[in-house]
Amino acid sequence: MDDDVDARDAPAEVDATFRTLRRVAVGYFVLFLLAVVGFPALSLTLGWWSDARLAGGMSPGFAMAAFGLYVFFAVVGVAAARLSGAVEARMLGDDARDAQVASTDAPEGER
Amino acid sequence: MRGGSGILAGVLAAGWAAVWLVTQVLVDPPLAVLPTVVVGVVCSTAVVLGYPSALRGPRVARAPRRPAGVPGVRRPGLAATGRSMPLRRGLTPDAARRTAQLLRPALGGDAIAITDTEQVLAFVGPGADHHEVGGSLQTRVARAAIERRRTVVVHRRADVGCPVPECPLQNAVVVPLAIGSRVVGTLKVYRTGDEPASRATVEDMAAVLSLHLELAEMDRERHLAADARLDALRAQINPHFLFNILNTIASKARTDPEEARSLLLRLSDFFRYAVRQDGHFAEFAQEYFFVRTYLTLEQARYGDRLQVRYDIDPQVLTTRVPVLTIQPLVENAVKHGVADKVAGGTIRLRARVDPLTRTTSIRVSDDGVGMAPEVLERITSGRRPGTAPEADGGAHRHGGVGLWNISQRLESLFGERYSLDVESEAGSGTVVDLRIPLR
Amino acid sequence: MSTPSVAALVLALAVVAVVAVATRPRGASTLDFYLAGQRVGVATNAWAICGDYLSAASFLGVAAAVYVSGLDGAWYAVGFAAGFVPVLLFVAAPLRRFGEFSIPDFLGRRLASEPVRLVAVGVVQLVILAYLVPQAVGSGITWQLLVGQGVAGLSPYATGVLVSTAVVAGLVMFGGMRGTTWTQAVQFGLLLVALLWLAATVLGEGFRYGDAVRELSAEPLTTVVTGPGGTELTTEQNQIHPDGSATFGEPGARYGGLGQFALIVTLALGTAGLPHVMNRYFTSPTGAAARTTTVWVLCLAGAFYALAVMLGTAARALVPGAVADHPWLADLTVDGVLVVPEHALPVLGRVYGGEAGLGLVAAGALVAVMSTIAGLLLAAAASWGHDVYERHVNPRATQRQAVRAGRVTTLVVAGVAAGLALALRPEAFTSVTPSVVATMVTWAFAVAGSALTPVFVLSIWWRGTTAPGAVAGMVTGVVLAVAVFVAGSLAAGGLLREVLVTPTLLAAPAAAAVTVAVSARTRPPAGVDAAWLRMHGTAADRQAERLARLTVQQGAVEPAGRGASVRPAAASHRRGRRARR
Repeated sequence: MDDDVDARDAPAEVDATFRTLRRVAVGYFVLFLLAVVGFPALSLTLGWWSDARLAGGMSPGFAMAAFGLYVFFAVVGVAAARLSGAVEARMLGDDARDAQVASTDAPEGER
Repeated sequence: MRGGSGILAGVLAAGWAAVWLVTQVLVDPPLAVLPTVVVGVVCSTAVVLGYPSALRGPRVARAPRRPAGVPGVRRPGLAATGRSMPLRRGLTPDAARRTAQLLRPALGGDAIAITDTEQVLAFVGPGADHHEVGGSLQTRVARAAIERRRTVVVHRRADVGCPVPECPLQNAVVVPLAIGSRVVGTLKVYRTGDEPASRATVEDMAAVLSLHLELAEMDRERHLAADARLDALRAQINPHFLFNILNTIASKARTDPEEARSLLLRLSDFFRYAVRQDGHFAEFAQEYFFVRTYLTLEQARYGDRLQVRYDIDPQVLTTRVPVLTIQPLVENAVKHGVADKVAGGTIRLRARVDPLTRTTSIRVSDDGVGMAPEVLERITSGRRPGTAPEADGGAHRHGGVGLWNISQRLESLFGERYSLDVESEAGSGTVVDLRIPLR
Repeated sequence: MSTPSVAALVLALAVVAVVAVATRPRGASTLDFYLAGQRVGVATNAWAICGDYLSAASFLGVAAAVYVSGLDGAWYAVGFAAGFVPVLLFVAAPLRRFGEFSIPDFLGRRLASEPVRLVAVGVVQLVILAYLVPQAVGSGITWQLLVGQGVAGLSPYATGVLVSTAVVAGLVMFGGMRGTTWTQAVQFGLLLVALLWLAATVLGEGFRYGDAVRELSAEPLTTVVTGPGGTELTTEQNQIHPDGSATFGEPGARYGGLGQFALIVTLALGTAGLPHVMNRYFTSPTGAAARTTTVWVLCLAGAFYALAVMLGTAARALVPGAVADHPWLADLTVDGVLVVPEHALPVLGRVYGGEAGLGLVAAGALVAVMSTIAGLLLAAAASWGHDVYERHVNPRATQRQAVRAGRVTTLVVAGVAAGLALALRPEAFTSVTPSVVATMVTWAFAVAGSALTPVFVLSIWWRGTTAPGAVAGMVTGVVLAVAVFVAGSLAAGGLLREVLVTPTLLAAPAAAAVTVAVSARTRPPAGVDAAWLRMHGTAADRQAERLARLTVQQGAVEPAGRGASVRPAAASHRRGRRARR
């Protein structure tokens, strides 16, 4: 099997992917920024945020700083990474050819 | 309410439930009403705004390749409709069997048979052991009903005409099934008792079945027509294009062998895609692949004269669009917009999804030579540009056949639920706007 | 110092040393030395990045900050964890795809300019030094507590500083990046084990997190102040509502309204400009793998910081009750409050695990320090050895000479950092900042986030970035960050001061604006399109994946001569693909 089947991207394709990815990244960054700035803002403006008690005895604000935000970061990270990966896989290269190389055992013409 | 809307509604409800749970139930003291409502509204707004990317965007790197079938046929969503009226999908043994099972209690018969003009398609009830499905029409009455195109009622066992002596069937009502004036089969209701089934009931039912068969026939014809147009489009791939690209590759083979090699691969991609598509719909990403493959080849040919700018929403990539629709639009823009302009130009492909109106909008624009108003008028008037042999002349000038083909195909696929607008001004380029329902 | 704690410490360090020796690179090319031959698996790299990133500031500092200031301290944990989100969104994949040796190299190539490279080397060195010093301080503090006596007439603190920097410098010189990768991965494993053990023990002993927070929040927060008449306990004034006193579970113990934002933004933006963390990305096999790696890091770091915050709370709640049973605590506390907040975790370890527990936590702390120092020294070596020596001092250097230059740099930078750490007295800061180690690390984050991150992100995502723009942006960022910080330290206090001490909020937008303004007036370099193809195209990625797939298909048959390097490549690609599915 030839090991360097088309190792090129066209500049226009890369530019398109770049724009789409930039839109994805900026979108998630705004979400991230809202959360990161929003939670301290809540603790400053909303008394309930630091005074109320959740079931365990923590205030919502403390619970956020103790667990919630890390979970949020992980979720944002997973979502952004999967979306970016999927966009790249669909907008660059040829999935058919890649798949073909991936399963050289499968008989040709089946797909 | 279709798929996406249901999810959206569910997520909104779940969001409010979560807000209520977190601010009112799990917490002491509960949050005041106003802030709670604000929190809920903020969450809902975020969900609605994030809906396109969070729920519709591509999530896996490569979706499993579904065998793309003709829409409306072989599609699981329609199985539910098919169950209530199987014949909507045509007169097939499977549909006939299910119809017979469905109708047996309603018609008050002991045995129900459905035949076409040659053979028994389904037989349900006593006697099924020797009235075999797939066997030729054994009874004279069926042939009589088909030939005379009217209902035949037999009251005596001998007239039923079954050659097997132990057959329990005593009488029969046989009604022809027709599409228009053409008889395509019969519906038979047998009884083991003395009285035959009510003739009026059976005739009414046969009329309903005939109507469904007629609809099925129309569906089939529509898709046949769409198939034919798709084939025409494939056959239309311009030999000039192939020659030009091969010349370009040949000239690059000496100066830049790597590039030539890469172009050859692209060319094989291009033809493989055009031939491989056997359904009417493909993922936008695949159509986009076809478009960029094509444009890369054209760019190699035109060099700096052809600039390309894609502007694509991540959410569009997984939507399903009619195959071979975007590339002809782009090809028109290259051939009739940019190629005729000495200084060259830019082709823009813009694709967006509006999740709330559930439309995919695709815009192909160029800043090429544009069209004179009368040419634009002729293209968009909806008439087919010329007859087949001489069409190439007209089409070659302004891509009329491509556009006409696309709009005909879209109409057969979406009916009235699509729009294809062309705006053009001589000297300042052309904009083609395509809006289709999101699927 | 007792036998069990020494045993635990020695054991932990021995594991690290063995790994370093076992995985040291066989060949001595610069690529192998700095970047582990660019073949490090996703999971391994994620653990190594965590080991690299989680320093004394995270292990001792976050718990200490929570211990002293409650919720305000927890913002350190949030900020440190948040830092990887911008990295994931903006930096990881393009950085790896462009694929150079270091941040200065990246900027230099991208903008086709040697001045940019040199300015970036300067900024990177500043960040590295600002980061190294608190690590050395942290090791000194740990040594002080663990061993309690110095060697050869030095104070315990000085001994800790010198021993740890010397050991790590040795390891780095010996092991290079490959060795460091495994060492750091193992080191993070050790850190996580230490924290998990401590958390499990504390919870097993009946600690209830929520109840503890509620009880601690019921009374005003107290802190130890070293005054003229010895140490005494004072209540913290609330920074947000100046008339009240601060409590554990509410904001305001340390930072006022704006200060809270400033701190988080500083930490969140800083990570993307940390040279030692970014250098790790160059070792990923593909851009997509770099992205997956970051997701792993986000999860691992999140778990780590959640534990650290919990243990800081636990220390606050449990130490007062333990003073009666543990006489040795009396020396470290005033009315049940620790004098040096960094002692929170080690003390907790000793209370619940005896000498062995103390040994484990101390080993964790030392390992955290060492792994970060290792990463920093390597980054310093890469930028001096590669960007300055190979390009400007001796362009015809052989691989051997270049690696040697890197090793010498390692020694010099380690020496400077140790000297600065010795000059600083950690006790002097305790009353000013929640945790001296965490605060000092914040300076490094501030410089990185103000000067490097804006230029970095712009040069990746904006075609128009030019070399003069980047230089102007970096200089603006550094100057503004340092100037504002100095001004803030001199300012009397209040709202102005808290913003000024964490200057990113101000300096990063300024740096970005200057970069854009200057770039708009100058011509972008000619090779932008080529750079874009490399940075945002996936051709090389696909190629690497295809190769890896072929290698996997061919099974265990290895081409002769390349055996040592092909195997890890195949393994890492497989892992990368599986992780992404």
